[in-house]
Amino acid sequence: MTEVAKKVDTVKLTIDGIEVEAAKGELVIRVAERIGIAIPRFCDHPLLDPAGACRQCLVDIEGQRKPSAACTQTVADGMVVRTQLTSEVAKKAQEGILEFLLINHPLDCPMCDKGGECPLQNQALSNGREESRFHEHKREYTKPVPISSQVLLDRERCVLCQRCTRFSDEIAGDKFIDLMERGADEQIGVFSGRLDVDPAEVVGETGLEGAIDANLLDAPFNSYFSGNTVQICPVGALTGAQYRFRARPFDLVSSPSTCEHCAAGCSMRTDHRRGKVMRRLAGDDPQVNEEWNCDKGRWAFQYATAFDRITEPMVRDPKSGELRKASWPEALNAAAEGLLKARTEGGVGVLTGGRLTVEDAYAYAKFARVVLGTNDIDFRSRPLSQEETDFLTSVAGKFQVTYSDIEAAPDVVLVGLEAEEECPILFLRLRKAANKRGTRVTSIAPFVTRGLEKVAGTLVPTVPGAEATALAESAEVRAALSKPGALLFVGERLAETPGGLSAAARLAAETGARLAWVPRRAGDRGAVEAGCLPTLLPGGRSLVEPAARGEIGAAWGLEVGDLSERPGRDTLQILDAARTGALKGLVVAGVDPHDLPDPAAAEEALEKVGFLVSLELRLSAVSRRADVVLPVAPAVEKSGSYLDWEGRVRPFDAVLRSAAMTDARVLDALARQLGYQLGTADTLAVLKQIGELGETRAPRAAAPTVDAERVAEPGTGEAVLSTWHQLIDLGALQDGDEYLAGTARPPVARISKATAAALGVADGEPLNVSTERGRVTLPAAVVDVMAPGVVWLPTNSPGSTVRRTLGVSSGATVRISAGGTS
Amino acid sequence: MGIEEKLPNGILLTTVEKLVNWTRKSSFWPATFGLACCAIEMMATGAARYDLARFGMEVFRASPRQADLMIVAGRVSQKMAPVLRQIYDQMPDPKWVLSMGVCASSGGMFNNYAIVQGVDHIVPVDMYLPGCPPRPEMLIDAILRLHDKIMDEPLGDKRRKVLEAREPAVVPAGSMPSSFRHNKELRAAWEKAAAQGREEQLRIEKWMETQARRNS
Amino acid sequence: MGQFIGTLKGFGVTFSHMFKKVVTEEYPEKRVPLAPRYHGRHILNRHPDGLEKCIGCELCAWACPADAIYVEGADNTDEERYSPGERYASTYQINYARCIFCGLCIEACPTRSLTMSNEYELARDSRQDLIFTKEQLLAPLLSGMEQPPHAMYLGDSEKDYYLSGPTNPGSSAGAEKNPAHRIADRDGKVAQ
Repeated sequence: MTEVAKKVDTVKLTIDGIEVEAAKGELVIRVAERIGIAIPRFCDHPLLDPAGACRQCLVDIEGQRKPSAACTQTVADGMVVRTQLTSEVAKKAQEGILEFLLINHPLDCPMCDKGGECPLQNQALSNGREESRFHEHKREYTKPVPISSQVLLDRERCVLCQRCTRFSDEIAGDKFIDLMERGADEQIGVFSGRLDVDPAEVVGETGLEGAIDANLLDAPFNSYFSGNTVQICPVGALTGAQYRFRARPFDLVSSPSTCEHCAAGCSMRTDHRRGKVMRRLAGDDPQVNEEWNCDKGRWAFQYATAFDRITEPMVRDPKSGELRKASWPEALNAAAEGLLKARTEGGVGVLTGGRLTVEDAYAYAKFARVVLGTNDIDFRSRPLSQEETDFLTSVAGKFQVTYSDIEAAPDVVLVGLEAEEECPILFLRLRKAANKRGTRVTSIAPFVTRGLEKVAGTLVPTVPGAEATALAESAEVRAALSKPGALLFVGERLAETPGGLSAAARLAAETGARLAWVPRRAGDRGAVEAGCLPTLLPGGRSLVEPAARGEIGAAWGLEVGDLSERPGRDTLQILDAARTGALKGLVVAGVDPHDLPDPAAAEEALEKVGFLVSLELRLSAVSRRADVVLPVAPAVEKSGSYLDWEGRVRPFDAVLRSAAMTDARVLDALARQLGYQLGTADTLAVLKQIGELGETRAPRAAAPTVDAERVAEPGTGEAVLSTWHQLIDLGALQDGDEYLAGTARPPVARISKATAAALGVADGEPLNVSTERGRVTLPAAVVDVMAPGVVWLPTNSPGSTVRRTLGVSSGATVRISAGGTS
Repeated sequence: MGIEEKLPNGILLTTVEKLVNWTRKSSFWPATFGLACCAIEMMATGAARYDLARFGMEVFRASPRQADLMIVAGRVSQKMAPVLRQIYDQMPDPKWVLSMGVCASSGGMFNNYAIVQGVDHIVPVDMYLPGCPPRPEMLIDAILRLHDKIMDEPLGDKRRKVLEAREPAVVPAGSMPSSFRHNKELRAAWEKAAAQGREEQLRIEKWMETQARRNS
Repeated sequence: MGQFIGTLKGFGVTFSHMFKKVVTEEYPEKRVPLAPRYHGRHILNRHPDGLEKCIGCELCAWACPADAIYVEGADNTDEERYSPGERYASTYQINYARCIFCGLCIEACPTRSLTMSNEYELARDSRQDLIFTKEQLLAPLLSGMEQPPHAMYLGDSEKDYYLSGPTNPGSSAGAEKNPAHRIADRDGKVAQ
């Protein structure tokens, strides 16, 4: 290479006699990795900052008196590195370090959950001495100590590599665990011990002794990302209670999969044995979740094996009026007859929920149009508006923003979105961008949340319902979005604000910022693309465009005019129509009435509708009222794909083989019973159909232009309700995971200082929030910076089921009072 | 089905049933079906040291038409399966199948595409004998247990119903190890242990006793 | 003439056997003891106080070439303790329709919980019965043993049950509490 061609920012060095070029500032351990030389390590992790804590990666560098740690040493021009492969010094140093690490390691590998996949075990064999020279008594601690209800700490096994503390500090921002004590007593711990013990009594004792019950810890490790520390722990010091002693790595089959919880689209690894999922781990996808995932994705999967899982079809017995098990032909026949009758008498509506794969959503969209001849289909089982329908119709098919764009963005504005609670991996990216690239985060929200604090964001304090005004009028927001590369994230909750989505679309168009819609569920984005909306056909085709209808009609082999051009009803209108009898039948998949803005009305509609077909995984509020129940497969037993909030396809294969069928296949069978061919019996066939539809040439719908409304000023003893879901709450997909539920954030009612003073409520005292329907009483949490006259409640947490109990949603005016008494 | 089973039900007395069963079990004629290493042990069982002739079955029949017991000795490959079935079909009723060794019983350690995962996928098996390979005593034990089962077999459907309706025996036919069944004392101990559900512990106790005797 | 003598010789051999000792073993009536290390049916051993030695580590299942062993681990609690230490086997099954009696599981056992007896009469008439459960495999309670669950009687921690904890995964060396080994360790030389 000539001097001219040599790039300025690269250096040349030699590792084990191999000359290699490296970028300036690269670490020796990474360069060695690249040329296939494995240096043993514990503390080093490519996504964490270098620490040099374990000293296992010692290498011999020419010119240095002592071996140095390859994980902290940056490359230099002309550097000559010799690893354990060529240098006796490095080899001896590494063996010595390993011997030191093993001095206090209990070597209880047969009991340890990490045994079989343990870096310490592996590297002790590959790089350690054959025999220990340590014959003295080993250090002993109480084991294991629960540092949260889910994570167990075994300090005897710990090698103090600090991966867990560095992850919690650098990546998650939840500095709940840290190194405690000094010298030989140094150990990982959570901040302080028990609530019921006088601090004076535990002075001199290491904090965790005796704290066997995680509930007694005053600051347990309740991070939403604590599971990652279990995964990256290079020894068995941190283990998950759920997987404790359940299986061995060599006995598990690992299958790649995709998380079915939120719209983040994490890739996962599902470990199973003998047809049962044992655990789930974060997969490695640098484009999406890097190597992390949230605790919900990791630990909430037992719903699929719950006791009320439906495995056989059921039909309602005409005589007894009870559901009874039936054969598939009988159930399909009953469903077909009922639907046929309902279709001719008044029509059938379809509610799909936001949990479907793209393939299943497409099958519902096609089933509604082709078989039921209706556009009454909606995937939204939450508060919604006509404006949102129009907004989604205009954004469908447009994929603009990706995770990597966040890191490149100078400014990010969030509206109606609490990223940490509603899309945790998006939050991790925001935090990474904020910390490493200096991305500024601005949030239009009622108060500064912990998530916003952790990304060092600024708040535009906004009363719920006034987001549209804030978007239109805030100079701060406009300035931020005017920078090239700026991003505007809108959450699904913005639909609850009249004019909110219109204002966001208008502002994005005016400032040139790119807009991204972030729903809460894994199947939401896919349902939009698949056409599970009253105004949308698959592939972002607007129903009112004749060209778009023509494309779909041709692909589905329909006659001209078969596709109705009349936009259908949305979820709320469908339920209304079902209640009044305008709709005679409903096909419902994966919808929990409690998620809807008015659960009582929804349940009434389900009771009253003439014919109800439920495609369900478990016996739910819908399937209990259904006339025909058809079982479908959970995500783990089927193949398909989700679209994450970016619109990125997240395909996955069936992890477990079972007889359970996808929704698409069940619908295919049902359609056949009714004399139609859907061709959706297997996932690949659906994918082929979707692929053949291709890009639309029809014009897109325009964004909605709805004016903002003035928010009503709350009177005395009143407040405007703000609410959103916490990540770990009462969601149906978290059923049966008690250890996970224990790490949820305690439900509180947040109020501002002024409100608290006016009510005479101190921090931690009960606060009543009530409407005509009912009352929620939660401990008050007084927030420093909060829009005036607002009270915040978790939407669906223990003790605070806002929609069910209060019957209202965000932006409503509620009464507040000091609680305790009636 | 043998001619004796064509006799009208109801007139036959249990003594006759016993007699028929006794004749059947006392001249078991095995068809040779040595497939692998187990066959070596099977041959050893027929030879002087273990002497199957003591139980009236010294001659291994090369012709299935003169055999009533098929000892499947060894792993059955997919290719051998139809042959095995044909041999079985050629055997006259009543006939019994003894699956010798773990490969014949379940595929054993050969859990792969080439080996039938248990010969019971092809023919009905009356006795499974684990071991890799089982020693001759184990084969004799299996055959004697089969004898025990045959002695308990009903003649005809009516009689079957009568037998099925009775109280289940504490020690079902064919479940007691031969060395216990042929020793009065051990037999009583076994029956007692079976009533408590600790037969397996009894076995280990007896083995520990012999170990202790040997060591002293 | 030669032919005649040849025939006599032949019969002579047969005839002479009438006076030799009979080689036939009278198996079901008399059981000839086997070699002490014969690989027979497994035993799950107990500690002297009756607690199970098995800690449910699944190393035997890992070692098994026939995939005949199935183990599920579970937590010991102070109220319900089956073995010393944190972990015990809540399910332990050996499928004798697959087991080839190779003994690799015995070598793998870190607590010397799993050993083999000389028992070989294992024939059964159903494959279900050939799957031996933990109850069948557990050794009988000898004198001084108590049926678990119960507390640890031999000491305060599981370390009192072992020489120095189950130290050597993959081998059973030093796994049993043995006073002789204790002396050897302290003096640094091998005691008899």
